[in-house]
Amino acid sequence: MSADIVYLPRWRARGPRAGAHRARETGGLGSFKDQVSFLRLPDARRIDLRATLRDPFEGVHVRRFEARMAVEVWALVDLSASMRFSGAADRMALVGALCQGLAASATRIGDGFGLIACDAGIREDLSLIATRRRASAAEAAVRIGQARPTGRSAAGLLAAAARIAGRPKLVFLISDFRWPEALLEQVFASLSFHDVVPVLLADSRETEALPEWGLLELEDLEGAGSRLVLMRPALRRRWLAQEGERMARLARLARRNGREPFRLADRFDPEALSRHLLGA
Amino acid sequence: MSAVLDLIARCGAERPALLWLLPLALLPLVAAPRRRTPLPSLSAVPADPLSRALDGALRAAACLALAGLVVGLAGPYRNGAEVTRTGIGAEISMLIDRSGSMNETFAGRQPSGAEESKAAASRRILGDFVGSRAHDLFAVTGFSTAPMLVLPMTDRHEAVRAAIRAIDRPGLDYTNVGRGLALALAQFGSGPGTASRVLLLVSDGAAVIDPRVQDALRAAFAKVRPNLYWLFLRTKGSPGIADRPAGEDTPQAAPERHLDLFFKSLGAPYRAFEAEGPEAVAAAIRQIEGLERDPIPYIERRPRRDLTGAAYAAALLGLVLLILGKLAEADLGRAPAPAATRAPERRIAA
Repeated sequence: MSADIVYLPRWRARGPRAGAHRARETGGLGSFKDQVSFLRLPDARRIDLRATLRDPFEGVHVRRFEARMAVEVWALVDLSASMRFSGAADRMALVGALCQGLAASATRIGDGFGLIACDAGIREDLSLIATRRRASAAEAAVRIGQARPTGRSAAGLLAAAARIAGRPKLVFLISDFRWPEALLEQVFASLSFHDVVPVLLADSRETEALPEWGLLELEDLEGAGSRLVLMRPALRRRWLAQEGERMARLARLARRNGREPFRLADRFDPEALSRHLLGA
Repeated sequence: MSAVLDLIARCGAERPALLWLLPLALLPLVAAPRRRTPLPSLSAVPADPLSRALDGALRAAACLALAGLVVGLAGPYRNGAEVTRTGIGAEISMLIDRSGSMNETFAGRQPSGAEESKAAASRRILGDFVGSRAHDLFAVTGFSTAPMLVLPMTDRHEAVRAAIRAIDRPGLDYTNVGRGLALALAQFGSGPGTASRVLLLVSDGAAVIDPRVQDALRAAFAKVRPNLYWLFLRTKGSPGIADRPAGEDTPQAAPERHLDLFFKSLGAPYRAFEAEGPEAVAAAIRQIEGLERDPIPYIERRPRRDLTGAAYAAALLGLVLLILGKLAEADLGRAPAPAATRAPERRIAA
């Protein structure tokens, strides 16, 4: 079992369900939040004697505590055909590992885990409504790891965004982001209400480990034909520069929504993801 | 376009049925014999004109290889052809006396020692004459009792020289110049020629021509219209062309003179050379050579040429290019994965 993924929502959770995250509501046994007058919160058990005695106007003060609430963690998985790529690691296996980690980590602390797989539309057979049941979350994560992406586009993510509208949620947007610019903008805009963590699936074989010299007959996984490329250092530099630019564009877009993208390349390291989620 | 069609029309194949396989040569336009490397998106690859050009070149090489193999298997060749060209020369029909007296010297004796018979001298001098101009056409006819077709009109000078080398074989006795002339005229063919035509009669004597044959000859001369040269190898002491006989002036008494008169009466351009030695013969031949300098259309034969080697060479060129392309093939991820991804982990562990 992989290590837990530790995440910290960027917002104060609201909702009916007690859980592990700091919430906007007060109540319960959370950490101290503030003091209010007894008239506002007539809770005799929590009268703050010290504050009451200190008050020159002889008001009675009551301590308030932050409630701890559960949030929902959603994984939005792009199933367009480019996700079929298998270089140093199989891309869908990485997605499976990530989703299993998320499912286990979320359900263990009482958060709900939901999963929506999208190609041109939503793939209902692979999707899961947010649940706190550990078994079904884990099963859905295993299922997504074995899925075979064939979609021609990732436009279903827009429908997915509409489906999870409502209370803010922690959304892991898992894709290689090889989308048209317009779709990229639209998806990020439609998810702007949520705490979105873009997980960029990359592979060293399509970036750093490109050969310096040689002929490559490259075939587009999304069916855009094939192309012969004569690799040489100059072209490789240009290629990497172009990829770097794409990454920077994505990072800019993601930062506008609050978080840096997480680059998931070659192997899934839960600790690295935790560091990313806590630190960034 | 018509030039290409013309070129195709001049080519043929041993096994033309195999050429139906030629559309196979278009296969490389559809599929390339290379390992395909999947990539998430081709949009990641920068546009590169050099790669595009190389792709085109390799496809062309593959087409060339297939087409070359198919054409090579079909056994291509270029048809032999006859090309008409124009040069300086003439159609020359030689009529050579093979009577026994030709084997004597100009002095009328059997040759002995360094002496040269009339036949040997004319053989030597005519042999030189044949090689001197490239585009002359020659026909050789011999005559004695009956005319002999030695060689029809040809531009193969080697054969003509061989025919001339044969004229000093011991001859027969009698001189029948009329039928010889008829055959020599027939050598020019029937149509009106575009080249200048020369009838060169080499003899050391003359004979009476039958009046009926004379009429036929007149008709033939009028039709063919050759320039007539008579190289008369005169034996010392024998009557010349212009000599009137002492007695009665009849063809029987002075056949040379009457043959000359007959030739003059033909209306065709005519010259007689009276040679009394090898030098005189050579001088006469030089004179004739100088006179006959007209353009002549001649036919050059190009033999059928086998093009199989060229087809296989083209296929080989294409295949070599393809093999080079194949050898240059690379693979994604052949390079060792960089250690950078592992470094942070160690830091954490430490």
